[in-house]
Amino acid sequence: MENIVFGIGITALTGALATVAGAAEDTESNIGSQGDPNSQVQLAPQMGFLHRIFNKAVAGEPPAYGLWCCLGAGLAWAFMAMQINAVLAIVLGCILAVFVQGVYATTAYLGRTASLKKFGQPVYVDILKSMTTVTMAHAFVAIFCTVTLCYLMNAALGHPFPLPLLGLVWGISLGAAGSAVGNPYYGKERQYQNQKFGAGVPISASGNIVRYAEAGERNSLDNGFFTAKLGGPASGVCFGLIVFLELWRTILFEKIAAGWGAIIVGLLMILVFTIIDRYIEVWARKTYGPYTKPEEASS
Amino acid sequence: MSAVAAKPAAGGAMNPAAMGVGIVLLILIIGVCYYISPGLGLMSLIGIIIGGILIGFGVHFVPVGGAPAAMGQAPGIATGVAMLAAGGGLAGLFGGAWAADQGLVVAVVTGGVGGGLMMAITCMMVNFIYVFGMGIPAASGKVKNDPITGDSQAEFKSQGTEGHGLPFVSFVGGVIGGLLAGAGGTLIYLMLLDLYKATLPTLMQATEVQILPIAVSAAGIFAVGMFLVNAVLTAYNITGTIEGPHDPKFKRWPRSIVASAVASALCGLVAILIVV
Repeated sequence: MENIVFGIGITALTGALATVAGAAEDTESNIGSQGDPNSQVQLAPQMGFLHRIFNKAVAGEPPAYGLWCCLGAGLAWAFMAMQINAVLAIVLGCILAVFVQGVYATTAYLGRTASLKKFGQPVYVDILKSMTTVTMAHAFVAIFCTVTLCYLMNAALGHPFPLPLLGLVWGISLGAAGSAVGNPYYGKERQYQNQKFGAGVPISASGNIVRYAEAGERNSLDNGFFTAKLGGPASGVCFGLIVFLELWRTILFEKIAAGWGAIIVGLLMILVFTIIDRYIEVWARKTYGPYTKPEEASS
Repeated sequence: MSAVAAKPAAGGAMNPAAMGVGIVLLILIIGVCYYISPGLGLMSLIGIIIGGILIGFGVHFVPVGGAPAAMGQAPGIATGVAMLAAGGGLAGLFGGAWAADQGLVVAVVTGGVGGGLMMAITCMMVNFIYVFGMGIPAASGKVKNDPITGDSQAEFKSQGTEGHGLPFVSFVGGVIGGLLAGAGGTLIYLMLLDLYKATLPTLMQATEVQILPIAVSAAGIFAVGMFLVNAVLTAYNITGTIEGPHDPKFKRWPRSIVASAVASALCGLVAILIVV
């Protein structure tokens, strides 16, 4: 019984850490403009729209976070093997991983923006100086939370995978959840704030991203400020739910019916999310209504 | 014929000669494995090939919209095929590895359910952000009616786009993809773990307890690696984006199955050769 209570406590803690990690990951990727919407940041100068948006997408978010979390977890693991206290080891490992992220962000911005020289896009040194550190700070929060939850899974819950491998697995999942949920909000809702609300961006508008803010030119900090209100927390909830429910069903129901208990609970949870999804879909169709009349739709 | 009217070359077409070469290669690799390690090695290789096929087939179900989905220009999840499949499948592998002590069937099913659960949560949150964050209902660009619910799609497609969000069939496809990919990844892991647990003690002259961390780590790393190999191969087969099982691109799966089988067999042979 004590084991189960301990397990539930650790599960709740990992869920909370995952929520913070997801929110920080999405905000970091939006400030750095790393996800799929960065295609528009790269495209805009080619269409004649010069901008001051950061641009560091070389890899997608999942492999990038797989690398950074694996690096942070691996270094923390090495420090722990050197008999350094676990908390300090995780912090040190994540700091070193964040430096790699900073180097990656700097070279990516310089390289990608320099490649747009023929379209007249300048490399802004002040953008490099002000944005890189902010993405590094957010990346630290995301990597630290992920490595810590991996450490808890390994040390407290007894998962067989070593810490670096857990870092890789959950880093990739973190990036997948963050990019899946956060990207549309940054891409459609922020970059194309000049388009109609409640509709997708017409393909003909591609590249015409919003480049001006309330005062002066918009930069990526403004984007992070905006997406941190919904896209970031939603990504956090997504990753938090994934980690929490995966651990919760295992800790509580694994012993029932020789493992089948956790499977049945997992299937029931999939069913619950399917019902919620269907409700959201039907609610949207009823509340927002069709864009055109059904008979015109076939054209 | 103009460039617009021209059909895309080698898009959905099957190439029987290439498929034949693939199958011959597959038989050749299995033969080599039989020659080197006819017992446990061969069994592991067959498990790895089945796992690879499950991943390759499963990834076809995952609705991926890529960059256009991030602007609400196309339906699906706004990230890459290989990345999303890896995210779901590896979450499944995590659960499956945890249940490894409870037998092959329970562990593989646990891995599948873990992948399916990750995809169910992600797909639900994608629709949540589209509907409540951006005010956009889900609409498919590939079918007139949702094959499962029968909901009409065309009038919910905003002007100048190919659709947006995740219609119900795409959600179900995502969950099925996660289930298959998670189960496949776990099967590869378990096959390698059994092989390493059986062979490493004699190879390293140590007890099974002593080699267990090495066996778990090596099997885990190979499983993640083979997962990514199969996911990326399938991403090439899909070429960009796919809406799910109702998408015409889904019909390309036989080609991917052969490719995944050959690639898994080759990678599996390497993973077996390090201990045999």
